[in-house]
Amino acid sequence: MNVELDALNEALKAVSSLRSCVGNFFLSLSQGVRSEHGEDHRETKYILELQDLVAEISSNMRKVEQTCSSIPLPPDGQINLGNTAHLAHETTQDRQALYSELVGSYKWTDKLHEISNITFGFLAQNVMKRSYNSYLNSSGMNAKRRRLTPSCHNVPISSVETVITAIDRQYQDMNMNVYRPHPSNCHNLQIQVSLGRILRAVISFRGMMIEWVKVKAYNEEFQTDNGQLGQLDLWTNSRHHVFRKITENANAAMLHFYSPTLPDLAVRSFMTWLHSFRSLFTDTCRRCGNHLLCAMPPTWRDFRTLEAFHEDCKP
Amino acid sequence: MGVTILLSYPVPENKTGPQTVDLLIKRIGALGAVQSGQFLVDCETFSSGPTMGGPPRTVHVLHNSEQPAAVFALLESPGPPPKTVPLVADGLFDLLMLKMSSIYASKKQTRMEARGTRFEIADFLVKIGTVTMSSNFKGVLVEVEYRPCFIAGNCWELMREFMQSFLGSVVQNTPPPYFQVHNRLNDVYQPLDTIQQYLDHFASYRKVAGL
Repeated sequence: MNVELDALNEALKAVSSLRSCVGNFFLSLSQGVRSEHGEDHRETKYILELQDLVAEISSNMRKVEQTCSSIPLPPDGQINLGNTAHLAHETTQDRQALYSELVGSYKWTDKLHEISNITFGFLAQNVMKRSYNSYLNSSGMNAKRRRLTPSCHNVPISSVETVITAIDRQYQDMNMNVYRPHPSNCHNLQIQVSLGRILRAVISFRGMMIEWVKVKAYNEEFQTDNGQLGQLDLWTNSRHHVFRKITENANAAMLHFYSPTLPDLAVRSFMTWLHSFRSLFTDTCRRCGNHLLCAMPPTWRDFRTLEAFHEDCKP
Repeated sequence: MGVTILLSYPVPENKTGPQTVDLLIKRIGALGAVQSGQFLVDCETFSSGPTMGGPPRTVHVLHNSEQPAAVFALLESPGPPPKTVPLVADGLFDLLMLKMSSIYASKKQTRMEARGTRFEIADFLVKIGTVTMSSNFKGVLVEVEYRPCFIAGNCWELMREFMQSFLGSVVQNTPPPYFQVHNRLNDVYQPLDTIQQYLDHFASYRKVAGL
């Protein structure tokens, strides 16, 4: 073993000295004729120097070949990988426990493949992008001719407030308070909605576009203790499963109702949808007729008919 | 806190209290409930001595492990008309009652306690406990709280469905008498409402005992 290692070390040393003298050769080749070569016969001196270097390279090359041949070959041409070789010695499949893991990982990969296929199909059907251009392209119209830039995020805040006040008047049991978290920013607006004594929601607008929705219970606060006045907490989730689920559904609804050409209609439809949660705890599921499924009330409202469904009963 | 409904679960004749509790725990576990600690509600009753003058008055002092920093005191005023004056104070109130022992004397033998296990299932909080009066078994109480809702009238039907799923026909189809008598169906639910329900149930257990 020791002899082997010594030979290997010598071979490695030889390789590195070969590399260094090849490096020297190319260095002096790139520098060309220098001042050290004097005035007379500088070219011949330079050529002699190069010849010396080439000779050194060839002597080093020989040395490498010699040391390589002195390294004993591993038996049968196999390379010894230390203890890992013992892995293959266990022949009983049960004790290896490899097979079951392989099956597991195969199943996992197969499932991943299947799910990603489904997801891809689903995402291709439902356009979640908010840019109008992709809408046009997907519907096959001529994108070049009818390219309209969506401008609903750029609506002056006063007209957004007008729309919100109108919606506020429309529903007796839904109160809305408007906050402007950044008074200098003329497009950002947050409203806090209280729906009866059922729930509270905070909705963040950019222009006429709904950006973010969070739903909480009637007694959960959106005002932050340490924040400035008029700053609402947009991030903390509700303590209750029901309202966390409704937050999820509200975000889906916000994307569903989003319309770049009629932004105020999108806001109105969303508010109508949210208003349908006034009977969250009294509605029975349209499909199964019960109040509860998995100890949860019907948290899904159909976007068109506003009928109540359980999460697992929805059409 | 959300709407809470307290029910007394009758112990079947051929079963003991702990067996009934085990049965209920098994049923709620089958629904997917997860155990989350213990609970304790206790009630001590004080009555006024002759130094007060007039008819004797009763004060019930209750503690609930859900509101560990609060002491609930309910003073029964004989009237007419008879009414109950509720008071919510912090822990020091217990020491105050000790100071007033010359006026209000504790009736030790009527100290009642409901203790047992808490369970959580989605937004429901279920507590199954046994009631004891000075360490004598009295009955089984089941407390069901639906935490997201604060108006009993809104979620009674939903809670009835949930309770019937593991308590069966013990649950009536109409809201418990407490909500109807005090007209609390359309008000925001308070922790005091839970305490009043416990007191009502404790009182009925005492009546059975003839005290």
